[in-house]
Amino acid sequence: MIVAERLVKEFRLAERKPGLLGSLSTLLTRRHRVVRAVDDVSFEIPAGTKTAYIGANGAGKSTTIKMLTGIMTPTSGRCTVAGLEPYRHRQRNARTIGVVFGQRSQLWWDLSVPDSFRILRRVYDIPEPVYRRNLDLFRELLDIDALGPTPVRQLSLGQRMRAEIAASLLHDPAVLFWDEPTIGLDMVLKDAVRHLVNRAHRELGTTVVLTSHDIADIGAICDSALVVDHGRVVHQGTLKDLLRTADHRSVVFDHRDGTAAGTVRARIEAGLPGVRATPDDGGRIRVDYPAGRYTSRQVLTFLLDHFDLADWYAPEPGLEDVLRKIYGRARVPGDTPDGAGRTPDGAA
Amino acid sequence: MTARLRRYTPFATSGLQSLLQYRSMFAMTAMTAAAGAAVTVFLWRAVYAGTPGRGPGGFTVEDITTYLLVAQILQVLHTNRVDDEVAAEVYRGDVAVMLVRPVSYPVMRFFACLPVVGANAVLVGLPVLGLFALLVPLTAPRPADLLLFTVSTALSVLLAFCVNLLTGMTGFLTTNTWGVRMVKQSVVAFFAGQLVPLALMPGPLAALAKVLPFRGMVDGPLTLLLGRYDGWTDAAGVLVQQAAWAAGLSLLCAALWRAALGRLEVLGG
Repeated sequence: MIVAERLVKEFRLAERKPGLLGSLSTLLTRRHRVVRAVDDVSFEIPAGTKTAYIGANGAGKSTTIKMLTGIMTPTSGRCTVAGLEPYRHRQRNARTIGVVFGQRSQLWWDLSVPDSFRILRRVYDIPEPVYRRNLDLFRELLDIDALGPTPVRQLSLGQRMRAEIAASLLHDPAVLFWDEPTIGLDMVLKDAVRHLVNRAHRELGTTVVLTSHDIADIGAICDSALVVDHGRVVHQGTLKDLLRTADHRSVVFDHRDGTAAGTVRARIEAGLPGVRATPDDGGRIRVDYPAGRYTSRQVLTFLLDHFDLADWYAPEPGLEDVLRKIYGRARVPGDTPDGAGRTPDGAA
Repeated sequence: MTARLRRYTPFATSGLQSLLQYRSMFAMTAMTAAAGAAVTVFLWRAVYAGTPGRGPGGFTVEDITTYLLVAQILQVLHTNRVDDEVAAEVYRGDVAVMLVRPVSYPVMRFFACLPVVGANAVLVGLPVLGLFALLVPLTAPRPADLLLFTVSTALSVLLAFCVNLLTGMTGFLTTNTWGVRMVKQSVVAFFAGQLVPLALMPGPLAALAKVLPFRGMVDGPLTLLLGRYDGWTDAAGVLVQQAAWAAGLSLLCAALWRAALGRLEVLGG
């Protein structure tokens, strides 16, 4: 459905020096610096998948989305959405996609939400039954009627986002691009939004591309993940595969020995070098071990041999931990931009 | 073709809807236009007061009054807000979200400006014209000239749209579009013949003004309204020149817009 082949986007930024004198000097000499926001990115998103497009701030997510929606033209490489190059066939592509940019409104500032929807209905030639069905759905799930005749500029962020989300779904698009769609929404509305997109996916087979810094959004909506870092793809696959790339596993246990927490910790860390044990307030102990060095069998055997276990469980590695690792690496000082260790399998 | 154009009609109706929220704006525009017209009209009437019959440029005192008043009203019709809105959307990057819609941005802008022009004509132009008709004697046009004027005014609106769109598109190059707009306003006011009729300009300057597109915005419609042409071919010539410039500028807008989009850089958000 969506294909990117060696996609590159570079920006030319004017260098500005700080302070008044600096500003004056830029009047005379202006130097430009080329910033590569998207660096040779290739990926393929199959039809009917719900993909989380993940990356730290500045990883090139929004720029890629802007090329896929036809707003910007790549510096080199190409991408297609449903077989069309969006920046070449912008208007035709626009009919098949629905877009939410959390940061910018696409509604008409001076019009009410119902008026905006009437415009969209004409612009997209939405058939009457589809329009009715979708409006009913938005009424039920997003309480869109409550927005009433207020002009969009007077709506709160949460109210506006509800309208933006509804507007992106109004014409039954084949592909949804949602860039930070749930900012400003409370828990109930976030749930409603997740329900809405999952329903569109189930009933219409909509392909979804989501960028969000809300981990819960990703977990509740997406089945696949595309992780970019410094403008490069570092992981593509199912969300489960991504979780498996976690390099630490954990075991949490309770014991009946009566040994002091400090002693337990010392004994584990001495017996299994490289493992970290952290006692919690309730007397339970969390053991984090590097997945490459120990198997779960080794760790569990050690624990069973040395302690009288009352209870234990192994929590699934959290998406948050996996992502923190990826995001954290983006900020390591001295990190070379030549991509060493950042090849697609480098993350695994 | 009509099906495609129908897609744009909601932009015209919604433009009117949002416009009507700012009613006091029309009162302000009317007052500004009336004040501007009063200054030029009474100044020029003083110039022509000493000359009975036809004065400089072959204008009677009624002719020059009509010329300046209608020129002022045409200027109001040409204030379609396209220049500042496009400029603002371009440099703020809001143009990006407009591009996710399956419509052409310039065509959408054109339809959105139509109600602005219409509302200005009805709520500002006609009242100001009526007010001055009560105060000073005006030249009554011949019916045929009135018809020619109407066609010519429609073309002048199209010209003004193109000029303002091009002005707004400078937002791709500079953030100081305010300065560009000021320059445009002065150039248009001068070369369109809104400040000084082309007939009163020194030879070389008038010759230059006559080949520029701005002429079709004020001088063209008023040449026809006041019957200051020499036979039908001359009158048709005015319209043809306007139409040619309108077509030329539309093509230029389309080409530049396409080129600008290819280089569009929207950072952040």
